Order: sequence, then C-alpha cells, then structure tokens
Amino acid sequence: MPALALFYRLILRPLRQERARTALTVLAVALGVAAVIAIELAGQAAVGSFRSSLETLTGSANIEVTAAGGIPADVFARLATAPYPLKVHARIEDYAVIAGKVKRTVPIVGIDILSEGTLNSAGAGEAPEGASDLRIDDSVWLTSGLGFKRGDSIHLLINDAAADFTVAGVVSGQAGEAILMDLAPATRFLRRGGRLDRILIEAPATHSIEEWTELLRKDVPDGITIARQGTQTDENRHMLEAFRWNLRVLSYVSLAVGAFLIYNTISVSVVRRRFEIGILRALGAPRVAILGGFLGEAACVGLLGGVCGIVLGRILSEGAVKLVASTVASLYFSSRPAPIALTWEYVLLGLTMGMSIALLSALGPAWEASRVAPIEAMARGRSEHQARVHRWRMAAAALLLASVAWVASRQDAVNGKPIYGYLCALLSIIASALLVPLLVSVMANVTTGVISRVFGIEALLASRILAGSLRRTAVLVGALSTAIAVLTAVGIMVGSFRETVVVWMDDILQADLFLSPAVPGGVDRHPTMSAEIPLQLAQLPEAEAVDQLRNYEIRYEGLAATLGGMDARIAGRRRKRSFLSGASADKVFRQLIGTDSVIVSEPFANKHRTKAGDILKLNLGARVGAFRVLDIYYDYSSERGVILMDRETLFRYLPGAEPNNVAVYLKPGVSVEDGQRAVERVLAGRMVAVARNGALREQAIKVFDRTFAITYVLEALAVFVAVTGVGSALLALVIDRRREFGLLRFLGAADSQIRRILLFEAGLLGALANISGVTLGLVLSLLLIHVINKQSFGWTIQFHWPVMVLLSALSIVYVATILSALYPARIATRLIPIEVIHEE
Amino acid sequence: MGILHLGHVSKDYVTEGSPVAALHDVNLEFQAGEFVALVGRSGCGKSTLLNLAGAMDFPTSGTVLLDGVNTSNLSDFALTQVRREKVGFIFQSFQLLPTLSVIENVELPLMLAGNKQARLLASERLSWVEMDTYSSRMPYQLSGGQMQRVAIARALANGPSILLADEPTGNLDTTTSELILALLRRIADQGNTTILMATHSMEATGKVDTIVRLQDGRVVDLTRVTQFSEGR
Repeated sequence: MPALALFYRLILRPLRQERARTALTVLAVALGVAAVIAIELAGQAAVGSFRSSLETLTGSANIEVTAAGGIPADVFARLATAPYPLKVHARIEDYAVIAGKVKRTVPIVGIDILSEGTLNSAGAGEAPEGASDLRIDDSVWLTSGLGFKRGDSIHLLINDAAADFTVAGVVSGQAGEAILMDLAPATRFLRRGGRLDRILIEAPATHSIEEWTELLRKDVPDGITIARQGTQTDENRHMLEAFRWNLRVLSYVSLAVGAFLIYNTISVSVVRRRFEIGILRALGAPRVAILGGFLGEAACVGLLGGVCGIVLGRILSEGAVKLVASTVASLYFSSRPAPIALTWEYVLLGLTMGMSIALLSALGPAWEASRVAPIEAMARGRSEHQARVHRWRMAAAALLLASVAWVASRQDAVNGKPIYGYLCALLSIIASALLVPLLVSVMANVTTGVISRVFGIEALLASRILAGSLRRTAVLVGALSTAIAVLTAVGIMVGSFRETVVVWMDDILQADLFLSPAVPGGVDRHPTMSAEIPLQLAQLPEAEAVDQLRNYEIRYEGLAATLGGMDARIAGRRRKRSFLSGASADKVFRQLIGTDSVIVSEPFANKHRTKAGDILKLNLGARVGAFRVLDIYYDYSSERGVILMDRETLFRYLPGAEPNNVAVYLKPGVSVEDGQRAVERVLAGRMVAVARNGALREQAIKVFDRTFAITYVLEALAVFVAVTGVGSALLALVIDRRREFGLLRFLGAADSQIRRILLFEAGLLGALANISGVTLGLVLSLLLIHVINKQSFGWTIQFHWPVMVLLSALSIVYVATILSALYPARIATRLIPIEVIHEE
Repeated sequence: MGILHLGHVSKDYVTEGSPVAALHDVNLEFQAGEFVALVGRSGCGKSTLLNLAGAMDFPTSGTVLLDGVNTSNLSDFALTQVRREKVGFIFQSFQLLPTLSVIENVELPLMLAGNKQARLLASERLSWVEMDTYSSRMPYQLSGGQMQRVAIARALANGPSILLADEPTGNLDTTTSELILALLRRIADQGNTTILMATHSMEATGKVDTIVRLQDGRVVDLTRVTQFSEGR
C-alpha cells in the first residue's frame, strides 16, 4: 500500500496537475488506438457479411457445384439421380434493384420454391409462407429485413428490364436481405438459358466431404467445380487479406506517431524530475522503483488512451465501414456491410495496443531515469549533451538500417503479402528518425547566422533551444516527419495512381457512347442487355462501329477473376490498349481472332505468375479449354484480374450472346448529342443507361477517389496526432524551460518576443519535419509504388508528383504546426518571472 | 534626485488568503555609482526590494522612481524598455542559458533590444570582465566564478544605470567571491553604475559604499561608508 500511495503522490498527482499536457498525450494515444479499432471494425463488418444473404440461404448444404458461365441443366439431373442419399438443390443467383424512392440492390435467388422448404428458411425446416400459391411466375418471397409484407406489390429492375411482382410471402429468420423467386421465372428474367449458377448438395456424414467430392466428380464433366460449400466465399475473403493488411498498416501509423509522443512525454517527465529522482534515490529508492514509477505513468496514459480510443474507434468505424465497403465493392466483390460488432476481442485489442505502445515507448526514458545517479541529478544539460555527442553514432545506425531496408525492398512477397516491403518501410522510418539529431544540429549550425540576421534574436533563441534540447527535438521532428512522410508517400502514390488511371482511360475509352444495364453492375456482377441491342445499334446511320463486351465470373487457381469476350476485330482497330511487351494493340488483337488464345491483365499475371506464351487451362461451363497467353495488358479496372478473349472463341465454350456493355463509335461529323438521341430511340422501353465518354471518365475518377478516401482519413488522423503532439511538447517545453522564459523577461524580452520564440520553435520544428518527412515520404512512395502495391495488387503505377496536392497538404500541416504553438506561447507569456526564477 | 528613489514603499503578498507584508514603508534613495549592500535574514525583503527596483514588480503603496520615472505608471511596453535600457540583473545561480555560448549569452539583452552592434558590444563587455578568451565556450564548460563574470558582462550589456545583484557570491568560494566583489566595485567606480546587492556575506559589506539593513520588511539601519551626492 505505501508503494501505491507513493505512486499516487509522485506519478499520478503530477499527471492530474498538468491536465492540459496529460490530456493531449492521452488524446494522441486515443487517436492512434481509435484508428486501429475503427479500421479493424470496419474491415470486419465490410467483409464479414460478404454475400451473407446467399450464404444463409444455403441451409445445411455442405457441398457446392459451380461452373464458369453456368452449370448445364443435365448436370443437375445427373447429380439428382445419382445413386447416393443426397439432397440436391438448384440455384440461380444474381442481383436486382428494388425500385422506389431509395433504390436498393438486393441479391435475387432462384430456387425450386415448392420442393425446397428445408433450405429456404435456413434450416427452419418449413416452406416459406405463401409457397403453396400457384401463380409463382410473378411471385417473389422476401426476407423480413426488406420491410415488405405478403400481398404487397414490388417493382424490380433485373438486367435491362423492369417488372412488377407480388410478394407471396415473407421469409423470417434470415440474416441479411434477399429476394427469392422460383427457378423457372428466375431463369427467364435473369437470362440463364437453362443453366444454373450453383448446385447445393446436402451429403450425409457417412463419408467425408473430400470423399463425397471425389465420388461426385465422376458424374460431372471436367469443367465443373465441386467443393466444400463456402469454399469460394473463403477464397474471396482470403483475397481481401492484402487489402485489409495495407489498410491495417496505414491505421498503425497514427499509433506509431502516438508512440513518439509518449516517448516525448515520459522523457519530459524524466528530465523535469531529475532533481526529484536524485532525492528519491538518495532517500533509498531502488532503481527498479524509479523504472516502475515511470513505466506506471506510461501505463496510466496508455490505459486511459486505450479506453478513450476504443470509444472513439467505435464512433469512427461508422464512417470507416462505408468507405471500406465501398472500396471492397469497387475492387473485389459485392457485399453489404454487416452491423459493426465491438466484441471483447476488440476491446482487449484496443487496451493492449494502448498499453503496449505506451510501455514500449516509455521503456527508454524510464530506463534512463532509473540509471540517474543521485549526485548527477542536479547536473543540468548533461543528458542533452549526451544526446548531442551520440548523433554520429545514431547516423551510423541509420545508415546500417537503411542498407537492411534496401535489401528488404528487393525481396519477394510472402504468401501474397508484402511483408518485406513493410519491414523496409518500418526500417526506413526508424533510420530517418535516427538521422534527425544530426539533421537538427547541422541545420542549427548552418542556419544560425542566417536565421539570426533575417528573423532576429527570437529565431536564434528558438533555434538554439531546439538544438540544445536535441533529444526531445529529435523525437518531435521524428513524430511529425513520420506523419508527413506517410502523407507525402500516400499522396504521391495515390496521385501517381490517379494520373496513371487517367492516362489509361484515355487509351481504353475511345468510344463516344457507352451502354450498360440500368441495374448497377459491380466487379463480380455482370447484368446483361438484350442481344438485339448491339445489332440494332449497328444499323444506325450515326454509328460507325459497335463494340460489345460479355463478362463472366471465373475462378482460376482458386481465385476469382473476370473472363471477358470482346470483338477482337473492332478492339484491334479502335482501342489503344497498352501491353507490357510494348506490342501494338492491332497486332495482338488480330492474333486473338478465332484462336484459343487470351490476353490477361497485369494484376492477373502478377497473382498467378503468368507470362506471355503460358497456357491457361480454364474451366468453361462443362468443358476445360487450354488458352495460350498472347500478352499482358495494363488494366486498372479490377484488382481481381481479367482474362480477355475474342467473342467468337468465348461462345464456342459458353452460351450467352447478351452483352454486359456496348460501346458505340460515332461517324465523323456526328455530334455526341445527335448520336445519343439516335441510340436512345433504339433503347426505348429498355432499362439501359447511356453514358458519354466524358461522363464515364468522371464517374470512374469519382469511384477512384472514393476508393482512396479512407487513406486520406487515416493520414489526416496521423497528422492530427502529430500536430497535437507538437502542441503538447511545446507546452512541456514551456513548463520545463520556464526559468529561461522568466530570465528572458528579466533581460528585457517583451511578451511579443516570447510569443515569437515559441512560434519560431514550432516553425523550425515544422520546417525540419517537412524536410525530413518529404524526403522519407519520397522513399516510401517509391516503396509503395514499386514494391508494396506491386506485391499486393499487381499494378504498374507511373511515378507522378501531385505537386499542388502535396503543397497544399504540407502547407496546411505547417500552418497547423505553427498554430499549435499559440497556447504554449500564451502560457509562456503569463509566467511570472520572479516566481520562476525564485523556484531555482 | 538620485538614480533610484523609493518613497514610502510597501509591498504585501497574499499567502493562503491573508496578506503578508514583504516591505513596509521603505524610504531610500541611491545615487549614480553608489554600491549598496542590502543585508538581513532570509525573508527580510531584500529580493522584493530588488524586484521593485528593477521594475519587475510593483509596490502595493508608495512610489518607485527609476531615473525619475514612476514604474507603477508605465505600460507593459514601457516597462520592457526600462528593463532593457536602465537595469541589469545578476543572480545567485548565474542563470546563463545553457544552449547559448558565452558571447551569445552576453549578446542576448542587446539583441532583444534590437541593438545592431550586439556582437561588438558583447565582446567589449566580456573583455571588461576578462572573459573574452572564453567567448565561444558553452556555460557548462565554465567554472562558477567564470559563469558569474559572464552573467555580470551580460547584465552590463545594455549599459544600465542600475545593476541589481541577488546574492551574486552565494554560490562561490571565498576567493572567487573576492574577485567578483572587486569586479562589481570596479563597475561602480568606473562605470558610474549604481549597484544594489542583496547579500549575506560580511566580506561583501566591506566593499560597498552603503549598507542597508532590513528586518521584517523594514529598513532598520542605513550606513553610508562613503558619502555620495547627486551628480557625483
């Protein structure tokens, strides 16, 4: 108990007395923890419910059968009549839009309504209410979450058509949202042509799933995939790992910046209490008590920061989940975020994060405190002197770490994760932080004369105070420079990516008008249009050429990808698609015509280590085809990867002349307005959207910006933490150096001069942090573009300086840093000189 | 009128709700070049008197006239100007800025006052206290006596009319104290600078022109060893 009492008196009471500084440090930890928690919660929610509606409708099925382009109906018949005690269920799956004030995209599932009671209610064992109705052609059953009741009328947009249905029943007990429809109308509305999207099988436990799979494989053609139910979902979730990893790492930046600030806070405590430490040691306190005391202080800050961070993280996750879900939908697959669940695991994670980061950051200064010899405790300036003489040693260590970082940057990904890339980034940040003391002292020496001449004594004093408090200055510059580096690196990466995408769009978007079904598509959703549309459009006098694209979902080596068929003749003439080999588009597309050959997108090639000349074996419908890879093309439309072949080739394997997208090239001299009017006349009565070239680009850039919105939020958080830290540290500096400020008043300094000293200090800190931060940011951006992005997503990004964006961001950070000194300056000018001098 | 005039000066502090008289009805007047020792026990009001004389604090009642100017009537800006131009401070613990070199410490008040000749004047002051060879050193590289000499050079930087020294030899050994006192004596004699020195040292009183003995905030004795007249 005496130990606790002493801990309260010597550690907690001072924390409480300096409320502003304590609050700022706790805030720094809280924001770091909040960023991590928000991203974890958002990531979990965004992918946790991936196709949850479809998953919950699988009932107790344990095996699933799938095929690219759909399963031929005879396969279902074979499985259903196989001599095994199996329950076999057919599925057609797609998406429909419920028309209304707010259009909602909802999964639509075709099932055999009358025979599938056991599956329909997710194991409840009952047929859906209303299932006995005979007019099932225009009937749908809805999950209860959609808010409809039996007998309601519902207007649905499916592909390029709209139709009214009657709600025949409401299925309760379902998580998520879904529309159920009988197989026959679903086949018709969804244009499946007798093919199924999935067959679900309930197999008894007499054999293992693997054994059943092996057994059933004999009854189906080679192209059909039989796997444990949920395998694809698991694989898709796995595919998201790299994305979540990158987001997670970015969220840890705020925490790392917070770590710098805790280090600073505890260092300040140690420096300020050297005298007290000396007395305590003289009175018999062992070293371990001093160490424990300061670690205890850090733990309190960490615990408090952790608790606040969890609460803040939960609040921030509401916004974060929307941003993350939007990115997931843009790049990976359709999903609807699940409710955010702050479980005990996350609470524990937040507390552990807060405490660990606080204790780890405090270890150095706490250890230093425990080493203080009583006799030395009075010697002021000694520790700063030590920091100064070690700067060359630290610079040498920085060089060593930078070398290791360079080696790490040359290593391959580990299981698709750029582990060495992250290690390189971490080592670069540490190396940069170790170089800061040298940078500060060199800057102080080199610029003293100039600063003094140009800005006067206040700037000189500020520069000397910073150089004199080298250890603390280095930590502060390190924190701010890390935040600025990440801001710069991500800014350059996103800016370069954006510019690359804009240039790429210039190449591929050559047509004047683009048509797509009004039902929103997605990276894994390919709504179709009537096959007549391109034929009718080709007859228009305004149209010079009509290109069309048909996409299918496909799995290659267990990963989802898109298989596309386009008219290679038109594409060769019209598109300027760039290939990694540098070959001309015309030459490559000509080789595609009528042959079993494909071109693959760069992300696909990177994921599957594919190169030109390789043979890809693709499961297409019931068949397996072998396709030679002609070349690899730059593509930024999907992270999952795309395989493209000529339409004629594709339709030798898969059915479906209905295109997903149609591009219309207008004749020279025909205005876009006239062309659009002509196209819209053809489309009359069909739910097809027509977009002009410019509008499509604009939309694409909007999606791009939305995709990266979450990174901007995380960067802003890291910068806010760092700027808060600068304010907190300057406040600490004022408290710590109050004697000097008092002395300056004795020597004739005016209030305005004291204020200017603090503002100059903040300005110098900001300038140093900007210099080292931008330099480090440039290094990190190269790492992000050429290593981390390449290994995570497989895109080639052309380096580009987003000068204006960076300048504006850095200026805002700089101004914020200077403004953060206003409150400490106010405190400094309010010090009573006689009192602070008398304290000595 | 002398360089410093205190007329019926009282100073009360409020401690834990009740007023404590630090100085009570003090009437003093000092001339240019006068070297004055303020003696008395701790808490008798020596430091308070120095702070009032240096315009760092203001009397509760009475007037402090520094070179004929009533410090209580001055704005913050004017007070800063007075401190810069007329007053120099010397402290027991030297109070050199550890991050500035010797010459930079001396330059400090000159630069705060915007003096363009700061380096030149600082060098002169340092050579005056025989510390010019140490100008590029840092404070932690100096002995106590050397630090105090630098502090004196700094106090003299702006050519003040009055030098206020609070226990300037309190942290020094006897020999070094002797040297510092001799230096202060020289400053008073050659620079025509009034020096008010709070001290416990009996040796120090042997070097001064006037001894003011304080007790419980009152002047109980004033001994003029040397007679000073206005305009000496």
